[in-house]
Amino acid sequence: MESEVNGILVAAHELKAPLALLRQLAFSLELAEDDVDARKKIQSQMIDISDRAIKQVSDLTKIARLEDGLFDLEPVAIRGVCDEVTAELRHLFRYNHRKLEISYTNRSRLVVANRDLLYSVVYNFCLNAMHYSDEETFSTMSVKDYHDKVRLSVRDFGPSLPTDVWQSLKKGWVEKPTSIAMRPGSSGLGLYIASKFSQYMDANVGAVRHRDGTSFFVDLPISKQASLFS
Amino acid sequence: MIFIIDDDHEMAECIARAVRPNEARIFKDTIAAISALDEGELPSLIFLDILLDGPDGFTFLNELSSYSDTAKIPVVIISSLNLAQKSLENYGVVGVLDKAMMTPKDIQKFVKRELS
Repeated sequence: MESEVNGILVAAHELKAPLALLRQLAFSLELAEDDVDARKKIQSQMIDISDRAIKQVSDLTKIARLEDGLFDLEPVAIRGVCDEVTAELRHLFRYNHRKLEISYTNRSRLVVANRDLLYSVVYNFCLNAMHYSDEETFSTMSVKDYHDKVRLSVRDFGPSLPTDVWQSLKKGWVEKPTSIAMRPGSSGLGLYIASKFSQYMDANVGAVRHRDGTSFFVDLPISKQASLFS
Repeated sequence: MIFIIDDDHEMAECIARAVRPNEARIFKDTIAAISALDEGELPSLIFLDILLDGPDGFTFLNELSSYSDTAKIPVVIISSLNLAQKSLENYGVVGVLDKAMMTPKDIQKFVKRELS
């Protein structure tokens, strides 16, 4: 029960932030009434922030429905999903003076996953990397073969991962969103979402701590249909 | 010059718009702001978020109040935390604004009062 209440509090905090920002941007629109370029920029920011907030609410709804088993697992072209996420987030990275680089070396093109859930995992990893990267640095997304799986990894260059989150990820999942006070600026809700979705897809999530940042990864089962491509 | 210290760049930009035509400088963390202070850039007013990456707003207030040249710089806290201004007055805090409910007029009120 305590864990559930904590989860609700963290979710409320995460959703309060974009709402507060939208409110301020609405005021900014009024202040910039004569500046057409500024108004366009603010409107674009409002749409982006709304999109991200809606996506987060939608992901939280999906978590509640995971137990119903409504999300079919099927062969998914992982590079296609990664390309879509990076296309969606590239301008957000640019706006925040960060870059996202991609490296594909996987020979196994198809993994067993649910496309929507996998999209959210990649999306949340990337957003997390953007938040925790230092300005003017780049994050790297890599997809490679890893034993009998495909490893998708997103590495940031910023503060190292707090030990408690790393310990939790060593077990293969995030049990609950991290305490707000321990990770200012982010409650770790994105990682929690990514972890829940990965668990559902029978994929392992984990993290590697670096002196100058963190890599989050998910190991996805290779689809047997991948043999058709070899 | 007004300093705005907030790790949410978009929120910081909103505050910067509200303080115009006064010039504002945005910092995403307290380390960068302290570096600017160390270089001799002394602002007339600081808008400070509390929950930040790295050293938090309280650490910054401690640092600020421990030097004679920065101890008197007025600080307005902008945060989602429910903070009582009374308990922070000794640190130069002249006001506390609720990030979720503040308006540009609230911000401008402090600018007018502290810069006049």
